[in-house]
Amino acid sequence: MKTKEDFPSINERVPEGQRADGTPFRILVVDDSMFVAKQITQILTSEGYDVVGQAADGLLGLERYKELYPNVDLVTMDITMPNMDGLTALSKIIEFDKNARVIMISALGKQDLVKQALLAGAKNYIVKPLDRKKVLERISHVLAK
Amino acid sequence: MRVEYINPFVESAFNVMREVLQCDVKRGELYLKSTSMPVMGVAAIVGLAGDVEGRVLFDMDKPTALKIASTMNGEDLASLDDLAKATITELANMITAQAVTKLHELGFRFDLTPPAIFTGENMEVSNQDVEALIVPMETPQGKVEINVAVRERA
Repeated sequence: MKTKEDFPSINERVPEGQRADGTPFRILVVDDSMFVAKQITQILTSEGYDVVGQAADGLLGLERYKELYPNVDLVTMDITMPNMDGLTALSKIIEFDKNARVIMISALGKQDLVKQALLAGAKNYIVKPLDRKKVLERISHVLAK
Repeated sequence: MRVEYINPFVESAFNVMREVLQCDVKRGELYLKSTSMPVMGVAAIVGLAGDVEGRVLFDMDKPTALKIASTMNGEDLASLDDLAKATITELANMITAQAVTKLHELGFRFDLTPPAIFTGENMEVSNQDVEALIVPMETPQGKVEINVAVRERA
């Protein structure tokens, strides 16, 4: 009788969101749009990532990062947000933790802001509308470095 | 109103909706309107200010808004709650952002306001001194009208 063990299974692949030892990467999602935050969270959890926090503006995002630190591996940061925008929050997070890994989430047409963010220490960026493949690719790329 | 302002909105509405709804979108006949216009029930508005000024309105009826929000979220939303509204807002955001990128490439400089959503019955919108161009889009979820009223700053 053939059992499961006779077949190599694609399901044995380690999900991208986990380290080789099976522990998930921990992500903080900062976005003022409930829809975008939900979309990112769904994409990431489906690949085994652990979304450890969500924040609806830059200020809350910064506070949440400080609370979570050092138990957070990566931040996705929207650019246009009330109270504190993503660029300011990015600089403050890097001021607090110079090794912070932050990926900017940008609407099309904000190239200047994206450039500023990359100069300020953002590791990469993703343009909306979000494409599942691109989101996962950019995030795993930054985490692999 | 010059057609160069309009085309980017039409194109990006077409592209973005096709991408996020994963389906065929048909473009209807454009028409101009200088008097007040009925609003179907759910309208997202984005303001423009700079070299060109005015506003863009994304207008649809409530069932269409719900179906679009449901498709974009990959789950059935029963009512036009905060999540559904945030979803329609984000759709308006993505369409205007892409249109504005094209307009910037053409050399126009202006800023956008964050989108606001209006919901209600028997609403009308009117513009003084500026014509509105309406671009109907047919999606499997229903009709979405993009109503653009912009002019060059005097």
